[in-house]
Amino acid sequence: MERRDFLKITISGCALGLLSGYPGFPGYSRSPLAPASLSREEARYYQKLPDREIRCDLCPRFCQLGDRERGFCGVRENQGGKYYTLVYGQVASLNVDPIEKKPFFHFLPGSEAFSLATAGCNLNCKFCQNWEISQMRPEQVKNIYLPPESVVATCERYNCPVIAYTYTEPVIFFEYMYDCSLLARKKGIRNVVVTAGYINPQPLSDLCRVVDAIKVDLKAFNQNFYHEYVRGQLQPVLEAIKQIARSKIWLEIVYLVIPTLNDRSEEIKEMCRYLKNEIGPDYPIHFSRFHPMYLLKNLPPTPVSTLEKLREIALNEGLRYVYIGNVPGHPGENTYCPGCGRVIIERYGYAIRKKEMNGNKCRFCGREIAGVWS
Amino acid sequence: MKKSRVVIINCRRILPDPVRPDPEIILAMLKKGLSLLAGVSSAGEALSHWFRHGEAIGIKINTIAGKALSTAPEVSRTLGLWLGSTVTSVEKIIIWDRSDEELRQAGYRISTSGGSLKIFGTDNRRAGYQNQPVSLRHIGSLFSRIQAELIEASISLAILKDHGLAGITAGLKNYFGAIHNPNKYHDSGCDPYVAELFETEAIRNKHRLTILDAIRVQYHRGPSYHPRWLAVCQKLIFSSDPVAADTVGWQLIEELRARKGLPSLKEENREPLYLRTAEKLGLGKSSMQDIEVIEEEI
Ligand code: SF4
Repeated sequence: MERRDFLKITISGCALGLLSGYPGFPGYSRSPLAPASLSREEARYYQKLPDREIRCDLCPRFCQLGDRERGFCGVRENQGGKYYTLVYGQVASLNVDPIEKKPFFHFLPGSEAFSLATAGCNLNCKFCQNWEISQMRPEQVKNIYLPPESVVATCERYNCPVIAYTYTEPVIFFEYMYDCSLLARKKGIRNVVVTAGYINPQPLSDLCRVVDAIKVDLKAFNQNFYHEYVRGQLQPVLEAIKQIARSKIWLEIVYLVIPTLNDRSEEIKEMCRYLKNEIGPDYPIHFSRFHPMYLLKNLPPTPVSTLEKLREIALNEGLRYVYIGNVPGHPGENTYCPGCGRVIIERYGYAIRKKEMNGNKCRFCGREIAGVWS
Repeated sequence: MKKSRVVIINCRRILPDPVRPDPEIILAMLKKGLSLLAGVSSAGEALSHWFRHGEAIGIKINTIAGKALSTAPEVSRTLGLWLGSTVTSVEKIIIWDRSDEELRQAGYRISTSGGSLKIFGTDNRRAGYQNQPVSLRHIGSLFSRIQAELIEASISLAILKDHGLAGITAGLKNYFGAIHNPNKYHDSGCDPYVAELFETEAIRNKHRLTILDAIRVQYHRGPSYHPRWLAVCQKLIFSSDPVAADTVGWQLIEELRARKGLPSLKEENREPLYLRTAEKLGLGKSSMQDIEVIEEEI
């Protein structure tokens, strides 16, 4: 049969637009898809489009969605043309951690961070360590409801000087993080964010006004890796790093080194040059050890020698604070004074063993050390 | 090369209530459609082409758009009861989708008790998702235990709709509802994700039939419900080739769009390219030249 004939046949009998002008159609329901137990707080950074569609402007995905659909992150839902976050106050993970675990090495070392996350992520890293919450929809995990007032009150009860938005991807619970941060600030509590930096400039700029430090996971310095293993793009992350550095809040960068995938010396050299050029030599970079996880179980853990080699490259390129992560007891965990070369913070894993600083200066040579120390 | 067969059954009698079609008419359409598909005269005999006696059969429906535009209970229950009285028993049939709540909103009553059709969502305490992700090509997902463990054979009983990102949603994409993270697979027109998901063992090895509910077709601005662009077509489309079934569904949507003066999906840059990918993966035929369409009216 010819395609034309086929179409002629199939079209016969179709009553086109028969239900046009039938808004009172009895089956039409505007009830939300998401379970009632989740939150229904109107999202920020989105545009309403015709026909009950919306476009989310929070992250570089710019998800455009019809009624009853969710974005890539799985935690935002279009309900009748209005966009909602389903995770406002819906905490899926809550702990008190040493701030070194984030890791922040130059931000209030030795502090305890009241750490929380909701479900969801706007990326899809094949090596995610927290995939059991980050790659889930909020209704697929256990949540406790903790509005911003309770977060701050609980944080005070635990005597934590810092709240860390971490574990999954705080960008996707932006509204909640923002409101918690605002409230926490009023009480003298600092706010730190652990993110992949996949966020648009306007929300990032607003965020930088209410938080004190951001750690960005830079996953690689090549777009192919971002495409294949992260399901995102490199450039917006680089832009976010530059924007954070310009904003004057504290910044640290983590680079998870995955054998054979993002561990080429040339690439690391190029990245270090770029960072030094764009944001200067003083923001710490951590080369972390990869362990087989989630969908990348076929690769071995990163050899320590690779981490050492990359650290060497970064130091040679002029970056001043270069660390090795996930190798407890390695000398690459310590902070060395760029002036005299002495160890000024000695660490073992997340614990601080010794601190040789006077305020923000090296106790031995008096050199100022970049960071937030009090 | 042997063509893939797709059968279209039209029935004018479904009107005047295409939303709640008469189960008797639906049964007649199902019997006719499957007999023609199998090329036999008896409907019961047709079923034995695809199902072993006593098998647990899943009927994956689509209820995401609420009562307005979901697989009608009259269609899925009729199919389930018929299967349950011929090739297997009713308690071995599971009509399912992602959640109990979505099913309820689409007009279903949740049922998990013995002696009747089972109707429940993956989030029901009888099911849930598996603990470990299945990884294949670009797919990394937890599977619904219904699809992966509770059934032996699967029917994709999908509603045919235009889809803003994928081009169309039909039998193949219906299986997005079998995994925990479908929202991760909507970029680049859902290509290659729709095809690769179907290729996973839990789906490919169990899928036996696609039945597209094209009684009412959302031909524009889908997958949400927009009465302005909804056509009453009174058709069910049948195939054991999941790619061919969706290809025919796509052509129907294009024709409806053309009649309304809307640009084609290709012109809107959202042609369902995943169909071609599915063909490349050997899952079926995506070209009309390779598809034999049989259309009948009852
Ligand atoms: S935040 Fe979520 S919904 Fe918004 S653009 Fe990003 S992935 Fe899409």
